[in-house]
Amino acid sequence: MPRCFRTRTRSQVYATTALAALLLLVGGCITTPLAPEIALNDARSTIQAAEKDDASHYANAELDEARQKLILADRAVATEDMVLAERLAHESAATAKLAAARTEAKKAAAINTEMSRGADALMEEMQRIGDQQ
Amino acid sequence: MKTAPITLARAFRLTAVAAAVGIALAGCATVQQSPSGAAEVRSKLDMLSADSQLAARAPVEIREAEAAVILAEQPVGRDVALGAHRVYLADRQVEIAMATAATRDAESQRSELSQARTDARLDFRTREADKARREATAAQEASGAVRAAAAAAAVDAASNAAELQRQIAALQAEATDRGLVLTLGDVLFATGRSDLKAGGTSSLDKLVVFLNEYPDRSVAIEGHTDDVGSVAMNQTLSEQRADSVKSYLLQSGIQPGRLLAAGMGETRPIADNQSATGRQQNRRVEVIIKNPPAAVPTASTN
Repeated sequence: MPRCFRTRTRSQVYATTALAALLLLVGGCITTPLAPEIALNDARSTIQAAEKDDASHYANAELDEARQKLILADRAVATEDMVLAERLAHESAATAKLAAARTEAKKAAAINTEMSRGADALMEEMQRIGDQQ
Repeated sequence: MKTAPITLARAFRLTAVAAAVGIALAGCATVQQSPSGAAEVRSKLDMLSADSQLAARAPVEIREAEAAVILAEQPVGRDVALGAHRVYLADRQVEIAMATAATRDAESQRSELSQARTDARLDFRTREADKARREATAAQEASGAVRAAAAAAAVDAASNAAELQRQIAALQAEATDRGLVLTLGDVLFATGRSDLKAGGTSSLDKLVVFLNEYPDRSVAIEGHTDDVGSVAMNQTLSEQRADSVKSYLLQSGIQPGRLLAAGMGETRPIADNQSATGRQQNRRVEVIIKNPPAAVPTASTN
C-alpha cells in the first residue's frame, strides 16, 4: 500500500508540476514582447496611406490620433517597453485605418450630395425648358 | 529514512495543490468580468448588425469587428492595460466597419441617383420627341391645308381663266398689248349719226356683263371714222360715237371712273377707204379692255 500510495503521489506531483511549468511557459510567451518592428512598420504605412487619401482633410482627428500613438510607440521602444510599444503600434494602425475608412465615407457622401444636387438642378432646368417650350 | 520521501512528496503535493487552488481562485475571481468599455463596444456592434441593410454592405469588416469584440470581452484579470488595449482595438474595428458600410451604402445609392438623373433626362427627351412629333404632325396638317387652299385657288384661277376666255370669246374681242380690243362695227351707227341703233346693242350688253364680272378692269373707248367728210367733222363724229358707247355703259351701271372715251377721227383706218367694204370697216368704235393692274413693286425713292 505505501509503495502504491507513494507511486501515485509522485505521478500526481509530476503532472501538476508539468502543468504549472506549461502555464508559466505559455504565460511567458504571451507577455514577452517580440520585436514590434512589424507592428510599427504597419502603423507607419497605414498612416501614410491615409495621408495619401487626404485623410488630413476628411478625418484629421483620427489621423492625428494615429500619429500620436505612433510617437508614443516609438517612445516605448526607446524605453524598451516592447509590450506597450507593440500595443500602441497596433492602436496607431487601427486608428489610421479608421481615418482612411471615414475619409472614404465622407468622400462618398460628398459625391452623392453633389450628384443629388446635379440631378435636382438638371430636373429643374429640364422643367424650365419644358415650360418654355 | 523511510519517512523522508513521503514528507518530501507530501510537501510537493501541498505546494501543487495550493498553486492549483490559487490559480483556480484567481480564475474564478476574473472569469465573469470583461474589461470596462467592452460592453459599450458590443452594443455599438450590435446596433450596426441590427441594421441589416448597412450590415450587408460590410460583412468582412463586421466579422473582423466581431472577432475583436469577442477578444475584448475576454477577462484579462489585473491586466487592465491589455483589456483597455483590446477594447480600443475592438472599438476601432467596429467604427471601421460602420464607416465602410456607410461608404458602400453611398456608392450603391449613387447608381440610383445616376439612374434618377438618367430617367429625368430620358423623360425630358421623350417629352421633347413627343412635342416635335406633334409639331411635325401639325405642320403637315397645316401644309396640307395650305396645299389644299392653293389647289383650290389654282382651280378657281383656272376656272376663272377659262371663264375669262369664254367671255372674251363671247365678246369676240382680240387680245393685244393694250388689252382686249373689242371692235364694235358700224352696225351700231347709221352713217353720219352718233346715236346707237336699236337692236345693235347686244355686243355692248355682253361687254357690260364682262365688266361687271371683272370689276378691276377699266376700258378706253375710241371712236373711228372713214374719210368721208371733213376731218373736223369726222373727229367730232368719232368723239360723239365714243361718248354714245360710254353713255350706254354708264346707263348700264358701269362706274364712270372705269370709262374713258376719245375720238380718233379718220386718223387710224384699219382698211382701205377707197372701197365701200373698207370704209365700213374703218367706221368703228374700239373698246379696249385694259389688263388689270399688276402688283407693281413700289420703286424706291432713294
